[in-house]
Amino acid sequence: MFRLGIVACAVGVAFAQGFTFTIGSPVASQDFRSKVAVFVLRTDGCADPTKSEVGGTAEGIMNGTRKSVALRVAATSKPGVYAVYQTWPNEGRWVVNLKGTCSDMNAGAIVPVGPNGFIRESSKFFARPATEAEIETSLKALTQGGNK
Amino acid sequence: MFTRHVSRKLAAYVDGQLAQSKAQQTEIHLRKCPDCRAECEQIKWGMAIVEHLPSAEAPEAIWSSIEAALQENRSRLTPAVPRWRLAFALAAALALASAAYWRFAHLTGTQWEVATVDGSPSVNEKPLRGDGQIGAGEWIETDARSRATVKVGEIGSVDVEPNTRVRVVKTRPGEHRLALARGEIRAKISAPPKLFFVDTPAGTAVDMGCEYTLSTGDDGFCILHVSKGWVSFQSNGLESLVPAGASCRTRPKASPGIPYFDDARESMKRALEDFGSGSLTTILSESRVRDTLTLWHLLSRVEAGDRARVFDRIAALTPVPAGVSREKALNLDTETLNRWKEELAWTW
Repeated sequence: MFRLGIVACAVGVAFAQGFTFTIGSPVASQDFRSKVAVFVLRTDGCADPTKSEVGGTAEGIMNGTRKSVALRVAATSKPGVYAVYQTWPNEGRWVVNLKGTCSDMNAGAIVPVGPNGFIRESSKFFARPATEAEIETSLKALTQGGNK
Repeated sequence: MFTRHVSRKLAAYVDGQLAQSKAQQTEIHLRKCPDCRAECEQIKWGMAIVEHLPSAEAPEAIWSSIEAALQENRSRLTPAVPRWRLAFALAAALALASAAYWRFAHLTGTQWEVATVDGSPSVNEKPLRGDGQIGAGEWIETDARSRATVKVGEIGSVDVEPNTRVRVVKTRPGEHRLALARGEIRAKISAPPKLFFVDTPAGTAVDMGCEYTLSTGDDGFCILHVSKGWVSFQSNGLESLVPAGASCRTRPKASPGIPYFDDARESMKRALEDFGSGSLTTILSESRVRDTLTLWHLLSRVEAGDRARVFDRIAALTPVPAGVSREKALNLDTETLNRWKEELAWTW
């Protein structure tokens, strides 16, 4: 009964926090294989991180043309921590559109990428996949605001 | 949490030698245990390296030793000794001799490839023309116009910049070690942590899976700049962890320098150079969230009386995570500091 109570509390906390992403530089994964990743992410608020799933696309504008490229997301040695590798061209302006699931919970994020790597301050996080409009807005802001 | 780790079974598991039921148990444990998973990855990597080792021919001397042993055995043998025993003994002797020779040839004397990039670098004071090889104990030296590149076994490469003098110390698969006397090297290493080391007059750079530049002046000052992954710089029993985008400047025969991000405010960087002369106030007031890299290192380097000021500044910049108490952090509890560092690293 006591154990059941603890499990119930743990699940309750996870749900209370909500399922979301935390992003960081590759060093945060503490996994040497991630060193060439653009960034790493951690799933928070998932009771069993081993069952979380993360994927997405890189959305960009190249020579005035809208592009969408499949993303390479790889699990690291830590459960619930993933590395995102560059699959998009160096030219143009790009944002990474992340989607994640944990049981019946969803999470999404838009992470702008500049020549010096991902732009933490302009990243946006959602409790659902990002909408097309939100992606377009982030791309527009990246194009207008220049890159870091 | 995990009372039964699977370390002892991992080699057999990776090699496909475990029975199906035990392999399944190991798989289940690996899914839940990050430590064993990391260890498993290292074993896989090690096996991959072994598979790439070139095969070595046994020396002629081995055959004469075996023939001599055969003669001796024949003279002692009685007809009652089964032939299979003799064959088994011979096979064992051959295996032992081959293993000894392999160890001698490959573990103690591996040569690395070295190539000229510009000008006329020298190896052991002899001009290097084009490509060559270098082994333990030998020096590479470049002048103002020359550069060279060294292939570090199977794990990466090191560019030797102009006006540099560097010695190859060890070339074993488990320990690749250089000594940088002066000048600058650029290392690109792709291997599990703690396989590549560079000694300098100010300390030792320990690769944690990274790309970095290391320079040493005639005064022995050492500057480390990391571009990918991270490096542990160690001296006097202490270490500084330097991630991508950060640098660390260390005096000779002193504790490792405090790392800082290259985009930190200049006033903070200047205060770090003068650290110890009342510059803590500037460092604290000028620090941003990602400068918790610097502050976390300062926590264990400042006088005990200043520790609380550093703690409070980090806590003001980013929430203190669960499992990190003020009391334990101020007492420099190792587990607490490591837990905090792992969380802070998400802001670096």
